Amino acid sequence: MDTTFKPQLMNDLNFIESQPQVIQTIGLSKTYKGVQALQPLNLEVREHSICGFLGPNGAGKTTTIKLLLGLARPTSGSGQIFGLDILGANDEIRRRVGYLAQDPRFYEYMSARETLRFTAGFFYEGPRQTIEERIAETLDLVGLSDKADRPVKGFSGGERQRLGIAQAQVNYPDLLILDEPAAALDPIGRKDVLEVMERLRKHTTIFYSTHILDDVQRVSDTVIILNHGTLVAQGPIEEVLAWGQASVFNLTVQGDAAAVESRLRSLPWVVGMEMISKNGRVSWQIRVSDPEQAEAQLVPLALAGGGATVCEFGRRSQNLEEVFMNIVKENNHER
Amino acid sequence: MNAELSTLVPRRARGWRMGLANMLAKEIFSWWRTRRWWVQCLLWLVLLNGAVELNIMGDFPVSQAGMSFFLMAGLALPIAVVSLTQDSILGERHAGTAAWVLSKPLRRPAFLLSKLIAYALGFLVTGCLLPGAVLYLQLTLHGMQGIPVLGFAAALGLCFLNLLFYMTLTLMLATLFDGRGPILGISLGILLTGLFCGLMPPTRLTHFLVEILPWRFMFLFGPDNPLAALVATGAPLPTVIPLITILPWCLLFVGVAVWRIRREEF
Repeated sequence: MDTTFKPQLMNDLNFIESQPQVIQTIGLSKTYKGVQALQPLNLEVREHSICGFLGPNGAGKTTTIKLLLGLARPTSGSGQIFGLDILGANDEIRRRVGYLAQDPRFYEYMSARETLRFTAGFFYEGPRQTIEERIAETLDLVGLSDKADRPVKGFSGGERQRLGIAQAQVNYPDLLILDEPAAALDPIGRKDVLEVMERLRKHTTIFYSTHILDDVQRVSDTVIILNHGTLVAQGPIEEVLAWGQASVFNLTVQGDAAAVESRLRSLPWVVGMEMISKNGRVSWQIRVSDPEQAEAQLVPLALAGGGATVCEFGRRSQNLEEVFMNIVKENNHER
Repeated sequence: MNAELSTLVPRRARGWRMGLANMLAKEIFSWWRTRRWWVQCLLWLVLLNGAVELNIMGDFPVSQAGMSFFLMAGLALPIAVVSLTQDSILGERHAGTAAWVLSKPLRRPAFLLSKLIAYALGFLVTGCLLPGAVLYLQLTLHGMQGIPVLGFAAALGLCFLNLLFYMTLTLMLATLFDGRGPILGISLGILLTGLFCGLMPPTRLTHFLVEILPWRFMFLFGPDNPLAALVATGAPLPTVIPLITILPWCLLFVGVAVWRIRREEF
């Protein structure tokens, strides 16, 4: 079974989906020394979206980002950013993109201000005053104004991360590509980064990889999930969450729970049942492949034997973390 | 966003020069706006001019003492060049700063060339011109009169060309290998082979090698003085072939380095 639910999601065009595409890849793949790091990947990121790029370690997120930026060469397939080919027009793409690496490294002897001046120097040659104003405003945006003239070598992980975000957007990029922007941050730092991203969204498209699913749920409007180098989900976050909610039900019964469980497990559209007992009642989280059938038939089937009564029944609302875990688990199971 | 985007003037350089000016400015900054410049100046003044002074104090003839400058510069300067140049490429690749800057509008050849130009300029001033000027003063003060200025400048030029050979060689090796061992082994191996070739009885192979490599610039070869010392005193040269072959070598090394870095994945 193909667990990619992209086709269903893509049918429902909303505002984001009506925007032009900023990133598009077609069959983009990468093999390192015989190991396929990225299976042929078709992904789409729309303008003015904040797109969370999710996946477990080694899923191929950083590889994808490096391919998009021209830091690595694809084994097959192609990609476009702003409609420009990632191989043929990479110079032009890099003029319009801001990038934060997973573990941002800078020249240690430079101060934060010098680092931004150096970065800005790749894009602009003047006027000096305006560039300095831009640097000051960028430092302010990431909360580094008071440390602007200290050498980077004394910066903490969080401060480096903030500087990383600052340098990524000093050139007013049309697209920000951030690889794990909040990974090295404490909760306050994470919150600040998310606020910065939200402030930037009106000016730019943000494509960022992360492990922190709470953050994705807070700020992203679209989500792409990668597992073992394969795209397993792609779409607006509401639809991804709705998909999760649609496929999981809660059922609580009193009485002959074993008989109910046995009856339900035998159904072809019941994917899994997780039991939680409480106060003499038995509750299950039931994952299904056909939500309509489940909605209509789970309760009648539970009651069919007559030995149990249904106390609670309803669709379970899932957060992104649960949806993500289910998708990845399902995908791993099929491999 | 307050800073006026519309008033900012975008960089116009395209092709292989894209990002070169900015990267070069950064490399020059790292030479001349950090402590590196005075550390290098001090190092070479102490090592090269100090050796000359010690030789003169040890009752060596002044001309012999002057020769020691070129021998020392022929050995110690390339070692420093190899060490610093390999670190400038490999260090950046390993630290991740190369990937960072190459995600900006910077062409890969420009990344290499900025380092080559800045390091060449840095070593030209701190390792050749400054100690060379001090040597000229030393020799004059110790009574060696009538040293031809042009010849002396040409000798320093040979000293610089010798450095350029090892610099471009190391640059190429740093793009070909991922570890310091092969880079240091090959480049320092070539340097030391040149030193020992001059000290051992000449063979057909060593004759051939000293003709096509810059070993004779700074090292003795059999009874012949280093070419740099001969040029400095206006003496006739036993051969000019090494002077002709050195630039093609440098161009070849840079060409291979550019070819390789364009295929590098970060």
